[in-house]
Amino acid sequence: MSCLHTISKSPDTQLLESCLKIIADGDAILFTEDGTYYTNSARKLEAIDKTCKIYGLREDMLARAILTKAADSVELIDTARFVKLCCDHDKIVSWF
Amino acid sequence: MTENSKSQKSRITFISRAAPYGQNKANLCLDMALASAVFEQDVNYIFFGDGVYQILKGQDGSAIESKTLGNALETLELYGIEKTYADRQSLEERDISESELLSGMQIVNGESIAQMIESSDTVFNL
Amino acid sequence: MKFSIVIYAAPYSFEAASSALRFARSVIDQGHELYRLFFFGDGVHNASQLTVVAQDENNLQQQWNDLIEEHSIDSVICVSSALRRGVLNQTEADRHDLGTASAYISSEVAGLGQLVDAAIHSDRLVNFG
Repeated sequence: MSCLHTISKSPDTQLLESCLKIIADGDAILFTEDGTYYTNSARKLEAIDKTCKIYGLREDMLARAILTKAADSVELIDTARFVKLCCDHDKIVSWF
Repeated sequence: MTENSKSQKSRITFISRAAPYGQNKANLCLDMALASAVFEQDVNYIFFGDGVYQILKGQDGSAIESKTLGNALETLELYGIEKTYADRQSLEERDISESELLSGMQIVNGESIAQMIESSDTVFNL
Repeated sequence: MKFSIVIYAAPYSFEAASSALRFARSVIDQGHELYRLFFFGDGVHNASQLTVVAQDENNLQQQWNDLIEEHSIDSVICVSSALRRGVLNQTEADRHDLGTASAYISSEVAGLGQLVDAAIHSDRLVNFG
């Protein structure tokens, strides 16, 4: 029973930091929209527990010219896979 | 709303994270929770992050020609929302003490909130 | 699987409105059921039909309408959000003596009960704001 957290606003909003306060082991995080700016720095992501999978939405990163800058821990996915991830987790918590 | 849905009970957790007055997120969150309670769903209502500013005592929206959100939040229990929580760390980071809060708020930590999310069917977070 | 999508963002102001549209299309493409779209707060502007956009720009409202009509999606705009923002169907326009309907008829104007119903009956509810 795990949860998919989507984060769609810039790192300036500290949404990841808020999310990490109430995330459970085995949950996953998907960065979308301006949230994808979190993905280009391993430093920004290091507070995320190793049990949490990290995803970045490819279309949003492509648009922002940051696709090639993603940290190794980030798996790039498209919108179709986003839908599949929603099926794989039993609920979605959106941070915006 | 169908007859069928009225008989079904879902656990819905609301995480209200926005400060009042500056934007409408706090009101939207409240409206959704009240509707859920009217339809007899099992509601958790959590004030988190800047959302804890919503439950400061002594608000007076009339000063800016606005409805006083604190007054509405004081009546949550009357509308069937009994489980209201404030995040301890959010209060501490903002130097807010328990005595400054509206009554009826249970102070909880992040771990308890994680458990509430886990045991919920749906989570609204805004 | 049964999905519902809640949209809080106004079109053109935030990417969330177009993200939600892409997500909705993908849900349908993959053969899932889209149980309901619920437009809330500024999101109700996505159902406005009185819009004109530049020729080289997407008309988001029209794209939503096309998707809703093509797949006969149950789409709801929150009545209290909509009335405040001037997004009215003919019934509401007549009731308040305002003349013109501004909402696409593909969306129904209804209350938050429809959102609660979606939360209860969907396997997954996804928020875009």
